[in-house]
Amino acid sequence: MLTTYTISIFTTNTVGLLNRITIIFTRRRINIECLTVSETERKGVSRFTIVIRNENREFVEKLVRQIRKITDVLAVFGYLDDEIVFNEIALFKIATPLQGESIDVKTINLDWNAKVVHWGLEYVVVEKNGTEDEIHEFYSYLKKWEILEYIKSGRVAVGKTEKGLVAYLPEGNWEIV
Amino acid sequence: MGQTQSYQPNFLTGAQAIMQSLVEQGVTTIFGYPGGAIMPTYDALYDYQDRLHHILVRHEQGAGHAAQGYARMLNKAGVCMVTSGPGATNLITPIADAMLDSTPLVCIVGQVRGNLLGTDAFQECDVIGMSMPVTKWNYQVVDANEIPEIMAKAFYIAETGRPGPVLIDITRTAQSDKMTIPFEYKSIKSLISYKPRIDPKAEHLEAAAKLINAAKKPYILAGHGVLISGAEQELNDFVDKTGIPVATTLLGMSSMDADHPLYVGWPGMHGNYGANFLTNSCDVLIAIGMRFDDRITGDLASYAKQAKVVHIEIDPSEVDKNVKADAPVIGDAKSALKALLPLVNKNEHTEWRNEFRKYDEEEYEKIDKKDIFHTGDKITMGEAVHMLSNKTKGEAVVVTDVGQHQMITNHYYRFKKRNSIVTSGGAGTMGFALPAAFGAKVALPEREVIAIIGDGGFQMTLQELGTIAQSGLPVKIIILNNNFLGMVRQWQELFHSRRYSFVELQNPDFITIAKGFGIDGHKVEDRTELSNSLDTLLNSKTPYLLEIVCEKEGNVFPMVPAGGSVTNVRLE
Repeated sequence: MLTTYTISIFTTNTVGLLNRITIIFTRRRINIECLTVSETERKGVSRFTIVIRNENREFVEKLVRQIRKITDVLAVFGYLDDEIVFNEIALFKIATPLQGESIDVKTINLDWNAKVVHWGLEYVVVEKNGTEDEIHEFYSYLKKWEILEYIKSGRVAVGKTEKGLVAYLPEGNWEIV
Repeated sequence: MGQTQSYQPNFLTGAQAIMQSLVEQGVTTIFGYPGGAIMPTYDALYDYQDRLHHILVRHEQGAGHAAQGYARMLNKAGVCMVTSGPGATNLITPIADAMLDSTPLVCIVGQVRGNLLGTDAFQECDVIGMSMPVTKWNYQVVDANEIPEIMAKAFYIAETGRPGPVLIDITRTAQSDKMTIPFEYKSIKSLISYKPRIDPKAEHLEAAAKLINAAKKPYILAGHGVLISGAEQELNDFVDKTGIPVATTLLGMSSMDADHPLYVGWPGMHGNYGANFLTNSCDVLIAIGMRFDDRITGDLASYAKQAKVVHIEIDPSEVDKNVKADAPVIGDAKSALKALLPLVNKNEHTEWRNEFRKYDEEEYEKIDKKDIFHTGDKITMGEAVHMLSNKTKGEAVVVTDVGQHQMITNHYYRFKKRNSIVTSGGAGTMGFALPAAFGAKVALPEREVIAIIGDGGFQMTLQELGTIAQSGLPVKIIILNNNFLGMVRQWQELFHSRRYSFVELQNPDFITIAKGFGIDGHKVEDRTELSNSLDTLLNSKTPYLLEIVCEKEGNVFPMVPAGGSVTNVRLE
């Protein structure tokens, strides 16, 4: 059975590191479901969040160790979904022609916890935050209108522990941004 | 009043900073090949010739392998310097080889001018992208000021932990620009994102000692890590106390005296019968500084399943990668063995040690005897290497290429002296031996260095005869010539119904070629002249090439067929 793993990688801020990390996946023919790179609250520390699906936990553990081996990587963690708080963000561009069915802003807000972030001429842009499943369900709901564009970000995730980032990093002066 | 004169100190150029960094790092030797994008650095080198000995090779691949041979002998980074584009791509094979065989290299590569990056400029290639999968670390320098720090980082990363190749790509502008700050070289002792563990954790050591002390049939596999960490004495002390039989891997060869009573040979596809077979009889397998390569384990599903595994290894990603460890010990082999010694009990596993003997005897009867006392017309590779081993008393540095002769050398050469093998193990790079032997000789000119090469591999890098001749260093070269790509031919014979697909070579006259380069040599075909021929080679004070014409269709045994179980050893 395929399990979703979220791999959080903390690195120094180095040019080309993304390439070095993705090589580890491509070499083993692992498809990256999504990937997010972001700054952290500590100066000079970047955070990669990579989601993969795999049947074999041991395989993922080996992969994590290979990533840890990269000299510019500070720390790596592999998480199951129940070990993290995670979210994604999706934008939907919906056609709203004059003669067409108008969108139901109230339902979108209250039932779907989404919002219209831009009103254009004959279209709107709706933003929805949530898990992949929630976004997927919302997508189904929106299908009754014409979806002109749909885009979804990669996952962002934090571990469900009371520890801060510094607890995971090697000892050093990690200046807060 | 006159104009204010701003003080302009005479700062170094980037190229001078590279040279000064190398000097302050303690580098004495560079293997290199100049070209457009590295010219400013070669210009700076002109003024550093008294401190930096540059050796001009004939092909960048030769620079890389020579630096590998040098590094393997001294356990410090070999330095090579090449230009951009094809200069850099020619270096990729040695870099990949060094990555797989944990060899420290610092490769300084020229790059096009900074403003031309990404424009498909003349001799531009994305060497950072290309070398990423095969380097431990790489970095592109575009600012001369960065050079001292990056050079220090390069050496630190290449030489520490599990050593490996590092590539520094330096734009022509970063070489020719003047630094805007004073040059200062501070060697690096630690990096926040890279902290290899040297001393193992106490609980790891205790768990390992517990398994070792309870073992009835313990078995040690000593790998390259023993040589890299310089743990030969520690291994010896450990073995003398515990009485545990030891096999050395292809790259760990010479970490133990071949005549030590507890030495049982080597495991692997063409390793010894007992060393392979009894892997599946031991109760505790102690792997030291090795990574359970597929050429050692064969079929993993049937590899040492009965045994508890103690795995001493500096690279955590190797633990549990191929073989699950019951007691992993993360750390340097030397430090781990030293710390383990007081924790293990004195023991003598005489009966268990003796189990290996009956396999040795059978192997000797079926293989060695036939090779050494061959009665056919042609000389066998085995008898040649056996004789060489006796004549050199097992004390030479032996550098092999890849193929049948490599396996035969490791079978018959009885290493008596530590750190005496240089071979391309993980990558299996044909063409490795000639330049690598040269590099080894540059590192340790006082030692006898003998390259043993097949006729196929020799032709891949034979232009380095020119480098050897120019240096005048007495590198001894033996070509074991069977007019075949022998190992492929052997597989075609055994597994492809003798369908010899493109393995026969029409060879040049190797002696004429050597002479053309100014190197003496001769060819021997007759068994009765073999001994004298080897004497001539060994007594030569200058580089010498001996071509030994060998049995054309000799096979290498023992053999564990690819993917087979270590108990499935073919002796004929």
